[in-house]
Amino acid sequence: MLDRITLERRAGSGPLRSTLTYAAAIGVALALSLGVMVAAGVPTGALFEELIVQVFLSEAGLARTLTMATPMILAALAAALCLRLKFWNIGIEGQLLMGAILATTVALYDIGGPLRLPLMLIASALGGALWIALPAILRIRFAVSEVIVTLLSTNIAFLFLQHLLFGPFGDTMHNFPTSPVFDNAEKLPRFGFGDVHLGLVIALTAVLVVALVTHRMRFGFAARFAGDNPRAAQAMGFDTARVMLVSILVGGAMAGLAGGVIVAGTEHRLTQAVGLQMTFNGIIIAALARNLPLLIPIVSFFIAGLAVASQSLKVFYGVSEGIVLIIQGIILLTLVTFQFATTYRVTIAAARPA
Amino acid sequence: MPTNHLAAPDGAAFALEVTGVSKSFGEARVLDSVDFDLRWGEVHALLGENGAGKSTLMNILTGIYAADAGQIHLNGAPVPVRSPADAMALGIGMVHQHFKLILPFTVRENLRLAAGSTGDDWTAIDAKISEVLEKTGLDVSLDVPVGTLSVAERQRTEILKVLLLGARILILDEPTAVLTDHEAERLLALMRDLVGSGHAVVFITHKLREVMAVGDRVSTLRKGRMVLRGKAVADVTSADLSIAMIGAEQAAVDARPARPLTQPILEIENLSVLSGRIKAVKDANLTIHAGEILGLAGVGGNGQRELAEAVMGLTPATGRIRLHGDPIEQATVAERRALGLRYIPADRASDALSPDNSVADNLAVTAVRTGKLGQRLVAPRRILSHARKLIAVFDIAGVTAGGRRPIRLLSGGNAQKSVLARELDTESRLIIAHSPTRGLDVAACRYVHDQLIEATDRGCGVLLISEDLEEILALSDHIHVISRGSLSTTPDARPAREDIGELMLGHA
Amino acid sequence: MIEFATAWLGSLPGFMTPLLLASLGLLFCERAGVLNLGVEGVMALSAMTSAMVVLAGYSAWPAMALGAVAGALISLPFMMAVVVFRAPQIPAGLALVAVGLGASQAIGRDAAHKPFAGLQPLPWPEAFADLPVVGRLLFEQDGIVLLALVIAIIAAWGLFRTRYGLRLRAVGEDPATADAAGVDVQFYQFAAVLIGSLLIGLAGAYLSVGGSQIWTEGMVAGRGWIALALVVFAQWSPVRAIFGAVLFGGAEALIPRLQALGLELPVYFLSMTPYVLTIAVLLVISFSTRAKQAEPGFLGRAYIRQDR
Repeated sequence: MLDRITLERRAGSGPLRSTLTYAAAIGVALALSLGVMVAAGVPTGALFEELIVQVFLSEAGLARTLTMATPMILAALAAALCLRLKFWNIGIEGQLLMGAILATTVALYDIGGPLRLPLMLIASALGGALWIALPAILRIRFAVSEVIVTLLSTNIAFLFLQHLLFGPFGDTMHNFPTSPVFDNAEKLPRFGFGDVHLGLVIALTAVLVVALVTHRMRFGFAARFAGDNPRAAQAMGFDTARVMLVSILVGGAMAGLAGGVIVAGTEHRLTQAVGLQMTFNGIIIAALARNLPLLIPIVSFFIAGLAVASQSLKVFYGVSEGIVLIIQGIILLTLVTFQFATTYRVTIAAARPA
Repeated sequence: MPTNHLAAPDGAAFALEVTGVSKSFGEARVLDSVDFDLRWGEVHALLGENGAGKSTLMNILTGIYAADAGQIHLNGAPVPVRSPADAMALGIGMVHQHFKLILPFTVRENLRLAAGSTGDDWTAIDAKISEVLEKTGLDVSLDVPVGTLSVAERQRTEILKVLLLGARILILDEPTAVLTDHEAERLLALMRDLVGSGHAVVFITHKLREVMAVGDRVSTLRKGRMVLRGKAVADVTSADLSIAMIGAEQAAVDARPARPLTQPILEIENLSVLSGRIKAVKDANLTIHAGEILGLAGVGGNGQRELAEAVMGLTPATGRIRLHGDPIEQATVAERRALGLRYIPADRASDALSPDNSVADNLAVTAVRTGKLGQRLVAPRRILSHARKLIAVFDIAGVTAGGRRPIRLLSGGNAQKSVLARELDTESRLIIAHSPTRGLDVAACRYVHDQLIEATDRGCGVLLISEDLEEILALSDHIHVISRGSLSTTPDARPAREDIGELMLGHA
Repeated sequence: MIEFATAWLGSLPGFMTPLLLASLGLLFCERAGVLNLGVEGVMALSAMTSAMVVLAGYSAWPAMALGAVAGALISLPFMMAVVVFRAPQIPAGLALVAVGLGASQAIGRDAAHKPFAGLQPLPWPEAFADLPVVGRLLFEQDGIVLLALVIAIIAAWGLFRTRYGLRLRAVGEDPATADAAGVDVQFYQFAAVLIGSLLIGLAGAYLSVGGSQIWTEGMVAGRGWIALALVVFAQWSPVRAIFGAVLFGGAEALIPRLQALGLELPVYFLSMTPYVLTIAVLLVISFSTRAKQAEPGFLGRAYIRQDR
């Protein structure tokens, strides 16, 4: 007789079990990721150097990692703010592109005189919010799945970007599909530590504000309750539809701001690559940080390190960019699979004699 | 199919015998070393209040739950029942309270699905369906989606399904609760027919009259223990059963003294609520005064929830609702709450609490929303102290870390107390309490009742919606009955149970 | 005008077929309650795999088959995660997209932008294809186009006329009841995702070996996501999926035709039409209560027996 396996839902998971599960998931994901890298042709001996020293311990590497982490923090906020309301924002890249496009518009058309730089950032946030408004309204008002709509919105945004780069925004100086480089007044100030720029401060400020609102303000209460149990939140007197809409729009604004920060802080022009893989990055960081705003910068730092390392792996060992995507997929899949240990209890009851 | 199990061999005293079965869910011990037996050709009534463990015991018999301890014997031989398939192969079939039918599928598809496990092809199954229909005289239309059928038709589909699968032992879980009197009579007759043809029936109910009418023997569960085991119905009186079922200390409930009516708080006129295309509430009229508990009795699913949600502003309705004389039909939930309306929903886990948020946050959330704990910034210190007060006053047990842990870790009774603690604040004026004691132990029940009465002492009005007649009778100043969305009033403030029962089933 | 229609109709099956195959595959998954967002990634990997097989000198049909198998193989971790470990299906599906896209990029780097001879049209007498309007539509198509239609019919028959289909639908609609009826829920979900990912893989393989006869990075271009919307549009019915695929494929096929007409249309805006159309269709569908009721009742949720 086979033993009988039954699953039961756990009422809750203690801090020890949660932490161990989390650690095990990270461990397994790391091991699998290292395996993929080795399989892709990175010498085992170079892994420590490339993944730790060059990324976190060398000055130039650390600067690159912090620069890379800046938009990731904002993208993760975009994912987390929406996810808290059970809204899957799979269009972070699209919102980011619209943010970048609007910021670039402000820069290229010299709008706003001396206030141009802050105006660029505001425009980018507005662009992101605007781009998520349609999926948000379709979901809240008409119950259309946001998963597909946010995604397709990204495709539309990308085509719009291409239209601009090959058309009105195109740099007439050479034939690459990029916008002209911004004026100095349109660039975020740098701190003299690699390319690290004011955007990092903006991103960290955004994290603090979101954390403050989430845990210390009435709107944060509304969002947490509406996200966890909309029916109950409604009975408590919250306007859940409004709370949902506002949270999602702010999420979109964060993604848009990420676009603004990339063009104004890092790239200094609009390119086709500004939003690359930011949707995955945002969702993975939010998942690893369990939607807790204060954990997002820390997780972003490590995921940014991975992205920076992959760039040098590409240069020195000819490793494909696809490897990063594979690793991101592995991390996400491992993480959600390991949730099993905190969600269910497995009992194997001995068979009764027949 | 092991047909040898189905015949009643000589020497086997019982069709089915259960010994020493225990089952716990988490901390809660639902069944405590229970014994039970069933003979071929009998209707064995199983009595017990909600939460006594009847359904759990039957779910163990049908392989849905694994017992923590105990044995099941069929015709005297121990049998493993590890899955519903095992149970079915042994000829044990259950008709659940919540029908196991797939609504978008037609009756025939549901039957084919269920019968498919026996490996028959569809032509054979269809032939068998006709055969069973003919033999039992069951009246079921086969080629319509189950979702379009009435409750009684769905129940007949379930019974047909179980018979089709070759069940010789039928377990009917409160089958009459959802039926009209006429339908119930038909079902009781069908049960007699079935045992006449050699089946054995376990009939779960909490209606004494039906036990007397149809049962051969009766067993009674109370709080997970078998207090009366297999007595011949002829040898027991209703009084015996009533005491066995609810316990001596509870058998006589003191009705609270009637109190004079003062000014009306809530007035409802011609309130109707649409649920899909059907009218869930039809032209309801009621008035609740300060200090009054108005009991609304009725079988679940007759429009209670829709009525409560319409008053709270959670679902659109037509008609007039006045609170303190002011019309509130257009008011939002928040505005109604500001006027003192409070709601304790039947399903607190899904309608009143946010399981992943902390106990403290759940207790403080409405105060936070209205800005009582801070207009701009809400200090965690104030939330925790607000919560600490309520936890002490309402005696909420099991709270760890000062209320910082998620509320889903609390037991049902303490979760319910948390809802009460939040909703029965000093500014409450009218409380809608829907099945406020469902699933609670006696002490918690009493506590909830005391709290509701205390609220009326402050001048609150209470709309008490409950399926538990004892509760309604014990607490209410006036009683209304809801049946199929229509409200009816009893002529006296204290009607006889039978009168209410009749109204509940819509026959008065 | 007739020339335009002939060319448009002639190119339609090529656009329609991958959408149809992918949405049929997805339909199997969703009918068993599994929301598989991984379509885009699975198609990408299969497109790359089958292209590499052809470039390695094998003929088109085995390449298609291997593409389908690759789709099933890469879906295995997803299947394990959602069916066995009850992982939340949306992030698990996204992870599958990432792995599929990443693997196709990493493995297929050297196969990109190399034209090859893929599937050829079925050998009808040449005169047939010269018939006005319908000639190219009917007689200049490869076998997979036909196969996809046949699969749709078989899927409809299998889902609605066999006991396996009944059980599979029951699992997606109400796994507790299916379980009570002795149906092995996990087995059917596994089988459904397996069949589904084979079909999705076939769809991907058709993109490179059937349609473009070349493989490039990003050639799936959102078709996986459109397939998700198409299943909603089709109300989870294989036969309606044919109409959906004709509609979406037809719109897509219009783009190169309009460009060929030499119309002065902004090219990138034109390319947006399938996505805009998809969103519009989803909005329109949301007004239909019937379409909403068609959604499998347990789609995207995790079932354990205790919940029964």
